[in-house]
Amino acid sequence: MGEKFDISYVFTFFPKLAGTLQTTLLIVAGALVVGIIVGILVALPRLYSVPVLQRASQVYASFFRGTPILIQLFLFYYGLPEILKLLHLDVSRAPVLFFVILTYGLHTGAYVSETIRAAVTSVDRGQVEAAYAVGMSGIQAFTRIVWPQALAIAVPVLANVILGLLKDTSLAFTLGVMEMTGKAQSLATLTNHFVESYISLALIYLVISFALERLLLAFERKLLRHEVRVIDAYPVFRRDKSRGLRQLFARHARFREEVQKS
Amino acid sequence: MKLDPSFIWTALIELLPAIPTTLLVTAVSVLCGFVIGTAVALIRMYKVPLLYPAAVAYVTVIRGTPMLTHLLIIYFGLPLIIDGISSLLGLGFRSSSIPMIDFAFIAFSITAGAYMSEVVRSGLLVVNRGQIEAAYSVGMSTPQALRRIVFPQAFAASIPNLANSVIGMLHASTLAFTVSVVEINAKAQIVASTNWKFFEAYLAAAVIFWGLTVLIERLAALLEKRINSYNRGGVA
Repeated sequence: MGEKFDISYVFTFFPKLAGTLQTTLLIVAGALVVGIIVGILVALPRLYSVPVLQRASQVYASFFRGTPILIQLFLFYYGLPEILKLLHLDVSRAPVLFFVILTYGLHTGAYVSETIRAAVTSVDRGQVEAAYAVGMSGIQAFTRIVWPQALAIAVPVLANVILGLLKDTSLAFTLGVMEMTGKAQSLATLTNHFVESYISLALIYLVISFALERLLLAFERKLLRHEVRVIDAYPVFRRDKSRGLRQLFARHARFREEVQKS
Repeated sequence: MKLDPSFIWTALIELLPAIPTTLLVTAVSVLCGFVIGTAVALIRMYKVPLLYPAAVAYVTVIRGTPMLTHLLIIYFGLPLIIDGISSLLGLGFRSSSIPMIDFAFIAFSITAGAYMSEVVRSGLLVVNRGQIEAAYSVGMSTPQALRRIVFPQAFAASIPNLANSVIGMLHASTLAFTVSVVEINAKAQIVASTNWKFFEAYLAAAVIFWGLTVLIERLAALLEKRINSYNRGGVA
């Protein structure tokens, strides 16, 4: 199996794989747009406790979070045309990419809806009451007071969802989409240099997820600029030079006292 | 192709024998991942020289790349290394005698280790500093304080995260089909293509995974309630 390991192939494969980067990013972007729209729509009935829709949105979130994305891909690819045929709609000619983006979108939507729900409920009730007290309407209170705070809470979780989505797109090759992983497989079988191809693939994913992570972190900082961040002010384990746990905890306790005083 | 609801049930029955393989892959990767994760978390918290940058790099690289690439690199790369060493030492061992599922075990454990290390780390950070200070003040040593005071509380606090990791690995075990391990997903593919009924077979697989996930969630909730029983009342 395979030729002898040759590191030079990692570098020759790198630009070739990067050429299919746009397909991967297209899936991520498409799924994200679908996911955010679906996620908001699904979160609303549960936030406002709409009777029947609330239950439906619970089942939706449970299903998409409770089954593997790989199974969902197959399910939609093979199942959706069948179901739509009953409604006399023919989608058998639709490109595979359509099914892939739809599935990833619905999958992401489940996570987005949970994130939105958690973020909105974590905004203190008193905030809304205060907004009403100064005479804001329901919509005003939501858009001016609740939404900005909820967004700041949701962004770190959404960042995880986006990074997870990027890595999940590697499964789209199972339906024959020529994104990066599919390309890596065909390059590998073509040249018989499997390991080099997959190392190259891993490198590209690493670079993109690192860049995305930085970008989202900068965005999060911007949203939270009005709040004192304890983590930033005192990195507990990141840049600490002390060796003993005792000193570390003593210092941490002192720091917490200072934060509480200020 | 016509929709055949009765075949969903047939497929469900045919998929049942594949459940133990899925659970085995999940259990092995979670347990090995937990051991690796705890070691990595402790290395990162205590800043062990030399090992610390390696641990950080490990977590960053694994969390920054898809699990599929880990599996494929291990699957294609490990035999090269093993055969190289084996021929160098003149051993008669060939990598082809290793069962496929072992590659899945190794790759998934490496992946799980990186994610688990974050779970363990956040669990340890949750425990109040006063707890360990109190342990020192009654004369416990650091290992005693960790074992008797910190770990039990950290475990209780990280049950939701652990349950999420277990569910994540359960879903990720479907990837093992790429190295021809016959777990639920691979079995569904076989059932689907032999009967030419794809939708029904995957629906059955989805139902099984959904059931397993809900079961794990329920169990975690029960365990959390039970283990947190010391924590009722008081200010916290």
